[in-house]
Amino acid sequence: MTDHDPLLDGDDIAPHLVQPLRAAERLDDTFPARVMSAVHAEARGYERAAKARESHALRTGWWRRQRTVRLSPLGGLVMAAGIAGLAVLAERATSGGDRLVKLRDASTPLARAMPETVHVVRFVFTDPLAKSVSLVGDFNAWARDATPLAEHAGDGTWVVSVELPRGRHEYAFVVRREGDERWAADPFALPVRDDFGTESSIVTVGGPPYVPGRAGTT
Amino acid sequence: MGAPKDLTDADVVAAVLAGDVDAYSVLVHRYRDAYVRFAIRMLGDREDADDALQSAFVRAYRNLAKCQDPSRFGAWLYQIAVNECRTLGTRRGRRELRLVRGDTTLDQLGDSRPSDDLAAREEIQRALDQLDGDQREAFVLKHVEELSYEEMAELTGLGVSALKMRVKRACERLRALLEEVHHD
Repeated sequence: MTDHDPLLDGDDIAPHLVQPLRAAERLDDTFPARVMSAVHAEARGYERAAKARESHALRTGWWRRQRTVRLSPLGGLVMAAGIAGLAVLAERATSGGDRLVKLRDASTPLARAMPETVHVVRFVFTDPLAKSVSLVGDFNAWARDATPLAEHAGDGTWVVSVELPRGRHEYAFVVRREGDERWAADPFALPVRDDFGTESSIVTVGGPPYVPGRAGTT
Repeated sequence: MGAPKDLTDADVVAAVLAGDVDAYSVLVHRYRDAYVRFAIRMLGDREDADDALQSAFVRAYRNLAKCQDPSRFGAWLYQIAVNECRTLGTRRGRRELRLVRGDTTLDQLGDSRPSDDLAAREEIQRALDQLDGDQREAFVLKHVEELSYEEMAELTGLGVSALKMRVKRACERLRALLEEVHHD
């Protein structure tokens, strides 16, 4: 008598029961046209969004864009004091008016701007055999060559710093070795498997970190 | 681009990602019928299968840059189609559960005798519809699509042992359902 393995036994079924289910099926001939119509609608949506982004970028030159940098509390105080000091000096040099009011006026816009922060995230990946590594994610439309990492001191550590908006981002690394390319999740971040079977990682910007790891706001 | 039949999936994916939206129709034509049988057996309804597959193709287009190995676009699309069928099946299952909960749809099985393949298929499909979605999916992949457990594991992200257990339970349940019908 052979050993009974409940996992291996009992997963079979009489052929006459499944044979009718194996009959070939087809969709109607309008299917490809309907799919392509939906795909073109998607593509037009992308084009509109891209044009809107481009138009916004043209309207907003770098000198007009609000760009603030997140600093430690001490750094923020030093910066605020410095700007306030400049405002006070300017005020003394010009009218010699009410310094207290001018000081408050000078510091208020800074206080308002501080919470709107540019988040720079440093991504690190280690693979001594890699010829190149790039970063893909929802922030660069998963474009393989958009965000290459630079090798740090030739020791197989690859690094890139990226400015990201606040929120939750999915990302992965595309690692190229000799004659081979693979996607890799960040071993130091929370993994996620999407509907497409892609293993990627999560970084949350401007909020509490998911797990201690190398990817985090700096 | 060259003639569609000469192009590999990777060629077409590269063309689409470079902005040639129409090139995607090559993939649509190539895979239009590849997963129809799976979708119909999973959902038990041709229109639902059509919806699920249309949605799968559009999602695949939307996420094409995430296709890690464009030379295996078909396998990647299969994963998306499986997920779309799960989603649609769950949504529809909830809806039907609200509407017909308590009905013994298997009673209808006793009304028919499989006189030909079509009648047999309908009878087995009705039994298949009684299975949990997870068991039905595993059964269809194994016994209708005739995938190996390793292929199923790659497709679903589940372990081989879990899949074997689902198939085993699906077979037991199907046998019981069909015996019940023919004894009535």
